[in-house]
Amino acid sequence: MEAPSLLNEGLTLMLFGMGFVFVFLTLLVFATKMMSLLITQYEKSVGVLPEGGVPSPTAVIPRHGPIAPLEHTHQEDKNLVSVLTAAVHEYRSRHK
Amino acid sequence: MDKLLHLWHNTGLHQMTPGQGVMILIGMLLLYLAINKNFEPLLLVPIGFGGVLANIPGAGLAEYGGILHIFYTVGIESGAFPLIIFMGVGAMTDFGPLLANPKTLFLGAAAQLGIFATLMGAILLSTFGIFDFSLSDAAAIAIIGGADGPTSIYVASKLAPDLLGAIAVASYSYMALVPLIQPPIMRALTTEAERKIKMVQQRHVSQREKVIFPLLLLLLVAFLLPDAAPLLGMFCFGNLMKECAVVDRLSNTTQNSLINTVTIFLGLAVGSKLSADKFLDFTTLGILLLGMVAFSIGTASGVLMAKLLNKFGGGGINPLIGSAGVSAVPMAARVSNKLGLEADPHNFLLMHAMGPNVAGVIGSAVAAGIMINYVNG
Repeated sequence: MEAPSLLNEGLTLMLFGMGFVFVFLTLLVFATKMMSLLITQYEKSVGVLPEGGVPSPTAVIPRHGPIAPLEHTHQEDKNLVSVLTAAVHEYRSRHK
Repeated sequence: MDKLLHLWHNTGLHQMTPGQGVMILIGMLLLYLAINKNFEPLLLVPIGFGGVLANIPGAGLAEYGGILHIFYTVGIESGAFPLIIFMGVGAMTDFGPLLANPKTLFLGAAAQLGIFATLMGAILLSTFGIFDFSLSDAAAIAIIGGADGPTSIYVASKLAPDLLGAIAVASYSYMALVPLIQPPIMRALTTEAERKIKMVQQRHVSQREKVIFPLLLLLLVAFLLPDAAPLLGMFCFGNLMKECAVVDRLSNTTQNSLINTVTIFLGLAVGSKLSADKFLDFTTLGILLLGMVAFSIGTASGVLMAKLLNKFGGGGINPLIGSAGVSAVPMAARVSNKLGLEADPHNFLLMHAMGPNVAGVIGSAVAAGIMINYVNG
């Protein structure tokens, strides 16, 4: 009676296994969709994370001239840096 | 004269058994395939060389205390090497295409049918008395259908250490043979018009999604299938290191130097399992055969699932990407791309096929977890 029980076990494992793989990945599909939806909503209000992570400052920007326009340039530089970092990251990840 | 005789008794020529001779030739064949034919050289060079070393008569490199045996005990018996490789693979994986089109996860699930169908095949063969596989042997052999080297080795080391050599060789050779095995099956199951289906440009996936996805996957594994946690846990860890972008140094090490180092020892350790008494066996033939069947069924079911999704899921999916659901990253995706270009020179499927491709990695790791859970439980 060894063989039939082995056959039985195999059949159970096959049905159980295939079923579980599908259940698991279906759940993952839903979870992923939910996550993407939530994050897209969230990012509408806070903006996207720069692709290469948040860049740390690499140089001190010299201060001269009046205060107000300087703050402005500083902000612009920061944006420029994050845009450039994103572009470089994108380029590198495409040309691996 | 006595001394001369003693020396003669110690030479390899005197001690060599025919089996060892054949195994050394097989090792050389693997080296030839790797070096001249470029078949997965990164693995077949260490495996082939390890195979030759393991069969040097009298040296006992693969026996207790031998260096290859030590590599094996430390890395494979403990399950460490395949897991470290999986971490590296995670660090090299980009989930972007999968996140852009989560539906492709179903393709990765469908392709695992190859694994479970082969399990049944192996069991049927032993029911008819052709081979003598136990349930755990059958499970370990079936995982070859996942076309994922580290997963196969991990499962084999847990469930059927005796068959490890043959399973590892089969699974890596078939990965190398993906460009030969898959296309005829894919052509047979799709029509010219289906192969020409163009897929829409993928949406942009934000960095936040990519950071959160491995954590989401990890939580799901933790809740549902802790047996898959070693494999998928390391995979998610590697991927998180890559995507979070704050530990680039760790991520670079994982995907380059660490994975290379481990690959060398993994290859040698697998080679040590190519000793004549274990490998030159009728069952090896069965394993090679079943592995091939597993692979073909996986490919076919992936393609058929893609056609099904196309019918009921709103269309827009080229069935060619279904075959990428067997893991074999990135080879299987390249095959899909090549066949797509063949049908229509402007049809680029590579990025679309990467989705099911990484889904296949997740799918086979889940299948591996189930096998281990069921057989050990």
